[in-house]
Amino acid sequence: MERVMPLEIEHITKRFGAREAVSDVSLTAGDGEFVVLLGPSGCGKSTLLRMIAGLETPDQGTISLAGNDITHREARDRDIAMVFQSYALYPHMTIAQNIGYPLRVRKTPAAEIAKQVAGVAERLGLSNLLENFPRHLSGGERQRVALARAIIRRPRAFLMDEPLSNLDARLRVEMRAELKRLQHDLRIVTLYVTHDQAEAMTLAHRIAVMCDGKIQQFDTPSNVYHRPANAFVAGFVGSPSMNFIPSQDGVLGVRPEDVELSLTDQPGWSAGRVYVTEEMGNENLVVLNNDGGRITARVPSDMRLDCDTPVWFRFRRDKIHRFDAATQSRV
Amino acid sequence: MKAVLRYLAAVAALMAALAPVYWLVTISLKREIDQFAYPPRWIGFAPTLQHYVEAFGSGSFGMYFTNSVLLAAMSTVAALLIGVPAAYGLTRFEWPRDWNNRIADWILSTRMLPPIVTIVPLFLMLREMHLINSLLGLAIVYTGFNLPFVVWMMRGFFAEVPREIEEAAMLDGESRVGALMRIVLPLVKPGLAATAVFCLVVAWNEFLFALILTQTNAAMTLPVGIASRVTQYEIKWGAMSAAGVVAMLPVLVFATAVQKYLVRGLSLGAVKG
Repeated sequence: MERVMPLEIEHITKRFGAREAVSDVSLTAGDGEFVVLLGPSGCGKSTLLRMIAGLETPDQGTISLAGNDITHREARDRDIAMVFQSYALYPHMTIAQNIGYPLRVRKTPAAEIAKQVAGVAERLGLSNLLENFPRHLSGGERQRVALARAIIRRPRAFLMDEPLSNLDARLRVEMRAELKRLQHDLRIVTLYVTHDQAEAMTLAHRIAVMCDGKIQQFDTPSNVYHRPANAFVAGFVGSPSMNFIPSQDGVLGVRPEDVELSLTDQPGWSAGRVYVTEEMGNENLVVLNNDGGRITARVPSDMRLDCDTPVWFRFRRDKIHRFDAATQSRV
Repeated sequence: MKAVLRYLAAVAALMAALAPVYWLVTISLKREIDQFAYPPRWIGFAPTLQHYVEAFGSGSFGMYFTNSVLLAAMSTVAALLIGVPAAYGLTRFEWPRDWNNRIADWILSTRMLPPIVTIVPLFLMLREMHLINSLLGLAIVYTGFNLPFVVWMMRGFFAEVPREIEEAAMLDGESRVGALMRIVLPLVKPGLAATAVFCLVVAWNEFLFALILTQTNAAMTLPVGIASRVTQYEIKWGAMSAAGVVAMLPVLVFATAVQKYLVRGLSLGAVKG
């Protein structure tokens, strides 16, 4: 397979009126890398993706793909494929025509299109749907058609804008795995936008966590989880969220699984009272009240605690994150 | 019981709607002696085609008919050619400070004055350009009439097409014009059909401007031609009715042909996948 060159984004800024949607963002993605842009809605991640696609023009900065500056190229000249949240299938065309459309625009001979469509449809399990129209398909099938349309011409880069968020929970997990495998096989650099941290953790080689138009941290899933760069990243990634406890030298952060619970008082442990217990099946989440605020602990499922039970807790010493009170950065 | 009532109501409505048409058709087929019979002969008269022969053989209705067809076609095509891109531009391109809507309002405002007040300036302008008594002159006027309508109708239809579908086409390798021609326009086809029918009907039936801006047979349209058969000395009911029946036909045929689109077009929501 042809070697895919990296995607480079340098100092991109985009303003809508007075608001800076994306401010001075730089990031690179290497050969065949899967990069996830993760952040809450309105953080600028979709705008960034649309600028790479050529659907928006940045006010400052450059975007290059495979060594070519594409900042001001038209979308169609960028050799980038995109999967939209709404799938954006062409309603008046059959599935075969939808999938083959990028090739038809490029004046590929009809026989060649048919062959490639058959191949891609086979790969994505769409072979028996080719003569249907998009309105006859379920959400998951439409999603796969959108994917098929994106991969058929082997673009230099894939962009995906929340492609799984319109699917129901079970299908989403299923498609997530499919997507990961597909990207692994194709080895095409992929930028994937989502607000779902589970998707980001499972899919990404590297995650760019965004907030307020800026990249907060750009690192591997493991580092984003275990060494969050600031309090925002720490709070956004992980479910349930990290506990934050104010202290004299800043803010302490402890993940729920790093909170130890005991039913008896022990030296060095703090007292609390169970507020509520949430049973998850494989584990329980215990929310407790303490003078410092509310703390969530992740405990084994055999530990059942009624409301208002007095308990004692402590944090695993080596798992405490410290953040500066003013800058929110990791100390 | 409910169903019976519903059908009765439908029959009553249908009869009210079709009675004038029935009257027109029968008058056109009756001898003059039967036309004024009292009580009227709804059925059972001796049919004749003499009025059709009179209207289209010796009379000039054939020419009026051709004129009307040409005029309706020219003005509809022109209004669509100008109005559709305008509507597209107003829906898809962001103008600063809400100018999209301001321009659209301004376009609509040209329809807010009674048409008759424009007739004197129009007459003078067309006279200067030697376009009185010409189909071209009337076509320009009708195009102007229909433009705001086309822009506003099509704006609604374009707004219904999700932007992402067009963006997907552009990423798939289409230019904006290519995406418009091959993706967006096919999706708004019902809207185009509905808009075209309205434009055609307006141009086909228009009377006032045609009356004032044409004076000779060369550019006279059917409505004006029919009315001209009301003369100082007699009213040619037979020939007028015969021409009226023929005048109905093209609109009927066209509307039937695009009916499938018309219903979808008027109910919007046509492109939701």
